[in-house]
Amino acid sequence: MAQRGGAQRPSGGGQGKICQFKLVLLGESAVGKSSLVLRFVKGQFHEYQESTIGAAFLTQTVCLDDTTVKFEIWDTAGQERYHSLAPMYYRGAQAAIVVYDITNQDTFGRAKTWVKELQRQASPNIVIALAGNKADLANKRMVEYEEAQTYAEENSLLFMETSAKTAMNVNDIFLAIAKKLPKSDNNARSCWMLQVITFKTGETM
Amino acid sequence: MAQGEKHHLSNSKLNDVDEYGFERPSDFRYESYEEFMSKYLTVLTRRARKWSHLLGAKETVGRGMKVKRYIRKGIPLVHRGKMWMEVSGARKKMEAHPGYYKSLQDLPLNEDLMECIRVDIPRTFPDNIYFRDYKEGKLGSLKNVLVAFSNHNKEIGYCQGLNYIAGLLLIITKDEECAFWLFDVLTTDLLPQYYTPDMVGVLTDIRVLESIVKEQAPLIWKHVAHYGITWDLLATKWFICLFAEVLPIETVLRIWDCLFYEGNKILMRVAVTLVVSNQEKILMSQEFVDIIHCFKTIAKDEDALNCHTFIENVFRVTGSFSRARLAKLREECEAQIKAEKDKETGGKSFASSCVTSLTLDA
Ligand SMILES: Nc1nc2c(ncn2[C@@H]2O[C@H](COP(=O)(O)OP(=O)(O)O)[C@@H](O)[C@H]2O)c(=O)[nH]1
Ligand SMILES: [Mg+2]
Repeated sequence: MAQRGGAQRPSGGGQGKICQFKLVLLGESAVGKSSLVLRFVKGQFHEYQESTIGAAFLTQTVCLDDTTVKFEIWDTAGQERYHSLAPMYYRGAQAAIVVYDITNQDTFGRAKTWVKELQRQASPNIVIALAGNKADLANKRMVEYEEAQTYAEENSLLFMETSAKTAMNVNDIFLAIAKKLPKSDNNARSCWMLQVITFKTGETM
Repeated sequence: MAQGEKHHLSNSKLNDVDEYGFERPSDFRYESYEEFMSKYLTVLTRRARKWSHLLGAKETVGRGMKVKRYIRKGIPLVHRGKMWMEVSGARKKMEAHPGYYKSLQDLPLNEDLMECIRVDIPRTFPDNIYFRDYKEGKLGSLKNVLVAFSNHNKEIGYCQGLNYIAGLLLIITKDEECAFWLFDVLTTDLLPQYYTPDMVGVLTDIRVLESIVKEQAPLIWKHVAHYGITWDLLATKWFICLFAEVLPIETVLRIWDCLFYEGNKILMRVAVTLVVSNQEKILMSQEFVDIIHCFKTIAKDEDALNCHTFIENVFRVTGSFSRARLAKLREECEAQIKAEKDKETGGKSFASSCVTSLTLDA
């Protein structure tokens, strides 16, 4: 569902820069990509999240100290068959979250494949985050935290374990990406300055 | 029977759940729905009477201009499952293979494929009350049909999106074996390249849609291109789901009536109509985000809900649209896709050269 909540330009005074970035979520089917987005954008969680066909598009805004970052999020379908459709979603993306499910070792393997593909095929300075989702199911854990962390370090990825169900680290991972993204005009999809021009009395134009 | 149909549909107006088991969303516009239904009920009553006449004591309709017209005006719900079976050839297939469906379920299935199906079962129509339970509801049947089909058609196996299609077939036919054979007709005969591993049929039809829009509504084509939006971003789900989970349910069923009788051309007609008849709204959307949003909205608005006028409009807007023309467009687009693929696998740095930097606040 397209969702436009929170996507307005801030109305506050002062000077602020607004940057817009394209972010894509990749990963095996049912690891919780749509759930992470739903949590981040609407603050909700559905035990039975509808399966994603093609891709879903949503937007959400994150405020940093001096910059507002507006994410255009593409939530993709996970099945291998849809692989041929994936490039159109990560093409031109400035950020990607590659998701796996900590209770399923195969999904971690698949995440590594996605990272490799992004490193090879996506924009060279794309910011990639690795999310080990379903962290609330720690008793069924199959992927060790340290293993994923080491892998992330070796590949210069941001890394967090998340839970769309409890909301743990969900906003944080998007925020970490927002911080790491270079906010220059030629990097973002677009950037603009928001300026409030004040007129002092007595000053002539 | 006319009475029964009327009663059946009008009752559901007052409920939070529609006649197919779907919960109405919290933002459901009861008023516009009631307005539509009050008109549509008259149509339904008339169609029910005409169909009983057509059928008489028979169970079959055969083919011909009159049948085609009748089907375009909608098959009454009481006859829908049966008519789909008949006009699509699914019944013939079923009768030619007695016991086959049952036998498929005992075959072992590849573990990866089984896992794919398993994770999608509870994620199919979570907003439908019949899809919440394995024992009482339809989830068990859904799994049976999908597993049987994966054993039956090894090339397709399972493709995400097929869960919705099988689910809707189960809602209408209320019978696993019938749903299975209709499913087979759809994926194997009517849309042979949609769900294969390369999904080239879907990719091709998206291109075909784009080229028709470019010719028939160049303003829309230009506008969409200006914002760096490609048509696969807009229409992938339309084709994969055959408009299920895209358009309102009653409209989807009317489209499928035609799909089973006339073939896959109807999908292109609907896609073109959705785009072309919403030119004004699309052109008014002035940002990347707004255009994407607009394409979601036009699939859910009153024009889309009003299935009878929607279908009339589909045939008016797309006029006489020859099979030969569609075949030629498909051939061209498929060749284009193949050529691009070869080029992409030949020279590598394709992706990075496609980075778009758009200024939205120009
Ligand atoms: N326990 C738990 N379940 C989750 C979590 N995230 C998603 N799920 C469940 O996992 C299933 C698949 O989630 P979904 O978001 O559809 O996965 P996607 O295919 O990657 O988009 C759904 O039933 C979700 O409710 C999580 O953090 N914890
Ligand atoms: Mg999903």
